[in-house]
Amino acid sequence: MINYHPDQHLLSLHAKGELPLSMSIAISAHAELCAHCQQQLEQMTIALSEQQFEQVNASQHVSEHAADLDSLLGQFLSSTLDNLDADDNAEQAPNTVPGDNSVTIKGQHYVLPRVFRKQINASWQGIGKVSRLRLDTGEPQARASLLHIAANGEIPEHTHKGSELTLLLAGEFSDCYNTYKPGDFMLLDQDHEHSPKTTEGCLCYTIVDAPLYFTKGISKLLNPIGDLLY
Amino acid sequence: MENIQSQSTQTRYDKGNLSLRSSTKRNGAMNSDEPNPLTDELAHLMLQVANNRCKTSFAKLFSHFAPKINAFGVQRLSQQGLAMDLVQETMSRVWTKAHLYNADKAAVSTWVFTIMRNQCFDMLRKVQHNREDAFGDDIWPLFESDDAENNDDDFLLSASLLQHVEELPPLQRQVVQGIYMQELTQQELADKLNIPIGTVKSRLRLGLEKLKSFMEKHYD
Repeated sequence: MINYHPDQHLLSLHAKGELPLSMSIAISAHAELCAHCQQQLEQMTIALSEQQFEQVNASQHVSEHAADLDSLLGQFLSSTLDNLDADDNAEQAPNTVPGDNSVTIKGQHYVLPRVFRKQINASWQGIGKVSRLRLDTGEPQARASLLHIAANGEIPEHTHKGSELTLLLAGEFSDCYNTYKPGDFMLLDQDHEHSPKTTEGCLCYTIVDAPLYFTKGISKLLNPIGDLLY
Repeated sequence: MENIQSQSTQTRYDKGNLSLRSSTKRNGAMNSDEPNPLTDELAHLMLQVANNRCKTSFAKLFSHFAPKINAFGVQRLSQQGLAMDLVQETMSRVWTKAHLYNADKAAVSTWVFTIMRNQCFDMLRKVQHNREDAFGDDIWPLFESDDAENNDDDFLLSASLLQHVEELPPLQRQVVQGIYMQELTQQELADKLNIPIGTVKSRLRLGLEKLKSFMEKHYD
């Protein structure tokens, strides 16, 4: 039984595709483990798509880009579609090679949620019972990793500058608040201190050190035009 | 087995639709119980594209979706040039992936929305982090082939479902097993058990509802 879930706000940002990669991975992995959140995401996606595509807007003005769109359609009909079909026939090999989404650490073998399959080529680094595999999300604002704590291991008490997200993927751990099960999704802010301990060992996905970074939508935090200037 | 599963997914999907319709009703966007002609029309066009590579149908889909994708792109990517790229990429994938569209699983709008959102996600990463990677489809699985890779889960689910079938009351179990495992028709089963077909239907319905509640209790 999963007790900790992303809140509605995060789920809805995820359905819109507005969260950064690190957080999108977390929600997607959680939803793969949690049928309840998966179902909510599906419903949100249906609602969004109807809002976007099916609502008849009485005051719908003729798009100012109608001419551009017309010429794009012309291009599609005269050549693009045929080219796409030709390309498709040319590359018979399936373009989605099913990546291996399992990891082995300290003799333990784990099968991870689908979303990790492109991310786990890096190697594990670690001291003692704690090992970390850093994921390359390309986001300067957040560090995302797989974290493995061997049986009877613990992480020294710490607080966070920003937020810390922990998604438990396998095993169990507990801190001063509770004991957690696979699928549990815990978002802690800087006011919380904790020192997770595990008796049987555990594997987590974590994101750390990003004040407000992942709980707001991309669009609110980053101005794409601003980013383009750099 | 598969029938039982798809049946329960279908029901969940319906529920989602209903709650959502009641919330959009105020806008007059949708009428709760009538079939939506737009949805059917879009599904028909999609099939034409998938089965017959029909360009006329594609053009109609384009006329419906492109301006809206463009509006989404302008809002999300803040640049008309990028928004046009989004239209082009999304509609190209509608064409090349048309054969993977499954009308039983999602409305065309939802499918196109998913393609668009995934594409937009990857484009935003390109703009913001200068990354050429494509994660959209890993985060929000889109196509049948993605499901096919998850055979292990299906297998586990099937195993636990089988166990729950065993736990059904005998009369319901008999009917569920007859229809889904021996693949008899409802009439054949009624003849075999010497009961009216209406009884087969009602036992089946009760049995499936019970299975569904088992599954929700244990897997939600």
